[in-house]
Amino acid sequence: MSIFSTLSQKPWMADQALVDNEHMGKSMTLSLRKATLFLLLIVIAILFTLFSVAYIGRMAYGDWRTLPEPLLLWWNTAIMVFSSFSFYRANVNADHNNIKKTRIYLLVSGALTISFIVGQLFVWRELISFGYFVSTNPSYGFFYLLTALHILHLLGGLIAWLVVTLKSFTLKNDPVNFALKVNLCAIYWHFLLIVWAFLFVMLLLT
Amino acid sequence: MSESIVPESELEEVELYHAKSWWTEKVFTQDAKLIAVQYGLTAFAIGFVALVLSWFMRIQIAFPELSIISEGTYYQFITMHGMIMVVYLLTALFLGAFGNYLIPLMVGARDMVFPYLNMVSYWTYLVAVLVLFVSFFTPGGPTGAGWTLYPPQAILGGTPGQESGIILMLVSLCIFIVGFTMGGLNYVITILQARTRGMTLMRMPLTVWGIFTATVLALFAFPALFVSAVMMLFDKLLMTSFFMPALVEFGENLTYGGGSPILFQHLFWFFGHPEVYIVALPAFGIVSDLISVHARKNIFGFRMMVWAIVGIGALSFIVWAHHMYVSGMNPYFGFFFATTTLIIAVPTALKVYNWVLTLWKGNIHLTIPMLFCLAFIVTFLNGGLTGLFLGNVVVDVPLSDTYFVVAHFHMVMGIAPVLVILGAIYHWFPLITGRMLHDGMGRFHFWVTFIGSYLIYFPMHYLGFIGVPRRYYEMGQTEALYTSSAADLNVFITLAALAVGFAQLVFVFNVFWSAKKGIVAEKNPWKAASLEWQTPDQPPVHGNFGKELPVIYRWAYDYSVPGAEDDFIPQDVPNEKVKLAKGHSQLGVEST
Repeated sequence: MSIFSTLSQKPWMADQALVDNEHMGKSMTLSLRKATLFLLLIVIAILFTLFSVAYIGRMAYGDWRTLPEPLLLWWNTAIMVFSSFSFYRANVNADHNNIKKTRIYLLVSGALTISFIVGQLFVWRELISFGYFVSTNPSYGFFYLLTALHILHLLGGLIAWLVVTLKSFTLKNDPVNFALKVNLCAIYWHFLLIVWAFLFVMLLLT
Repeated sequence: MSESIVPESELEEVELYHAKSWWTEKVFTQDAKLIAVQYGLTAFAIGFVALVLSWFMRIQIAFPELSIISEGTYYQFITMHGMIMVVYLLTALFLGAFGNYLIPLMVGARDMVFPYLNMVSYWTYLVAVLVLFVSFFTPGGPTGAGWTLYPPQAILGGTPGQESGIILMLVSLCIFIVGFTMGGLNYVITILQARTRGMTLMRMPLTVWGIFTATVLALFAFPALFVSAVMMLFDKLLMTSFFMPALVEFGENLTYGGGSPILFQHLFWFFGHPEVYIVALPAFGIVSDLISVHARKNIFGFRMMVWAIVGIGALSFIVWAHHMYVSGMNPYFGFFFATTTLIIAVPTALKVYNWVLTLWKGNIHLTIPMLFCLAFIVTFLNGGLTGLFLGNVVVDVPLSDTYFVVAHFHMVMGIAPVLVILGAIYHWFPLITGRMLHDGMGRFHFWVTFIGSYLIYFPMHYLGFIGVPRRYYEMGQTEALYTSSAADLNVFITLAALAVGFAQLVFVFNVFWSAKKGIVAEKNPWKAASLEWQTPDQPPVHGNFGKELPVIYRWAYDYSVPGAEDDFIPQDVPNEKVKLAKGHSQLGVEST
């Protein structure tokens, strides 16, 4: 049922009441956690979009300098892709109730994510060694700001990753709930990969 | 979205939280009702600070010879008054307090879907409030940048509180937004996914519709404030030039250069204008429900009311630049925003008509909540009409820096929502505490607040028309700028403001006194049909609805239904169980 047909209902009418009485109380078939995650992702997407709008708005001024593109960023991007892929494999294995393999892929994902974060910090170090500080030019400022914000979101995800990974060691029953949690982590990681890809392309093009 | 095809087993997804100690039951509670009270008390406490600040400002304006506060302090008080009232009081009250209390009860849920997250949301809000409050005691005091925190002056020397006040303000806002996001996710998902059987979206009361739409707005708009706050923190602490242009201060070139203050204004108002509706939409919803209950009549044009809430919410994202006419902009740009501003008045006016038409031939009970609702309608109408003036570029430009604007926004988003909050407290106090608020004190509170507010803000329009500038600490003796009649009027306004302030003290006393010694409320004292009043216990206990969740058979507005013995039919009563009036063999199903 579309949102428009919902909004056109007349709840005071007797025939509509017969339909409404059968309603089970949910508007979407999604689970609570997944619905919440999707809403959170929308909010995060808006946050990054607004930063990007500010970025593009600030570019219009004359003092803007093109960003350097350290090679390491490409390596970091590859690591992020593998991390996301590893989460995909963890998700598939969790769905098949293969806890052992899930655990291995979870550990690989976590290790790759930490490598990505360390890699980004190395990029920062490289930029600083060239004298590109946060206040040198707004383009550098934005680079530090956006990458830091992305890292912060990954760190938040790592808390969830830690909980799920620890759970994989002590798991006795409740595999459905476990699979859902792995699934939510995987969605979050795929999303942060897309965000990074978007930021990376924006940084490359400008 | 799919309706009515959900497997029944999915409804039992949420486990009810059970406290294990006094601390987890009373302090670090996860019960939405108690979290609501915590939100409410914290918001009122910090709101009271903002109220006291306004008294100091008013005394300074009326009696400048007393020099009760210095110039810098005046700006600090203006800033803190504005920011506290808009964000830390109104937003927190409508969404944190009313949202937490009413959403689960009105949609038939036992609690919010993520109680732990809900608890963390409140404590994060409290930290935000404390960080802001601490700035009163830091070197240099709180920021005096004005509540809009416009750069470059917000972080430059010469602006009060530029040492640490501005940093604490920005950090506090970021913390607030993080805390709100946790709560907001909870409110939206609870409404979408945790309603009881039979509770379709269109059977939800308008209060829930208002809170729901406002929460969505807040989730989408607050990131803009977050972005501007973080970027300004970078400018202040790391000397970036996102917003800061090249500047010379005290004869020295600053390291800033090339930044765009206008960029900040766009980001700020992209949050700032939806914020008006984040405050207004829950007020619209609540006032609709209160009018319906106390006029014993179904709300007129229910569907249009829902559409108007959703429409206003959507439109609120494309009007923001009408706050920036005086910053200068392309005339086509101004034309666009003036047009959208006038368009948003259409669904808003529609709501006002529907409230009035709900009252038409209603069985109006002049209870205190109803008095506040009537006061709201006229006050909102007043403030809304002056908004139409200011939405036009040619009218706004000369009036923008005068008291006309102060009068407009205080009427429309200060007094009007506060009147709803007060009416709502009188309405739901029996549900929350099990006791009635004292009627005599309540009526005194109402009349002084209502008439007093008009005595404060009506003359301000006149001050604006004759060109008295806002934001001035002292007007000086220039007769051309500040006539003796304006000076006398300012004295009058100040006296009215102090009287209204005193009435709020009576209200606070009434709340605490009645919570202990008030008359014990009978069950569902207003004879309301909505679900929050149908709980087995009053006040509702943890879990809200006893062993079984209620099943919903009707919308929330079955008042004065022909053929029914009572003049209301609760939402959880099926047609077969409705007592018929004498001489009636059938319940008449009325449509509007």
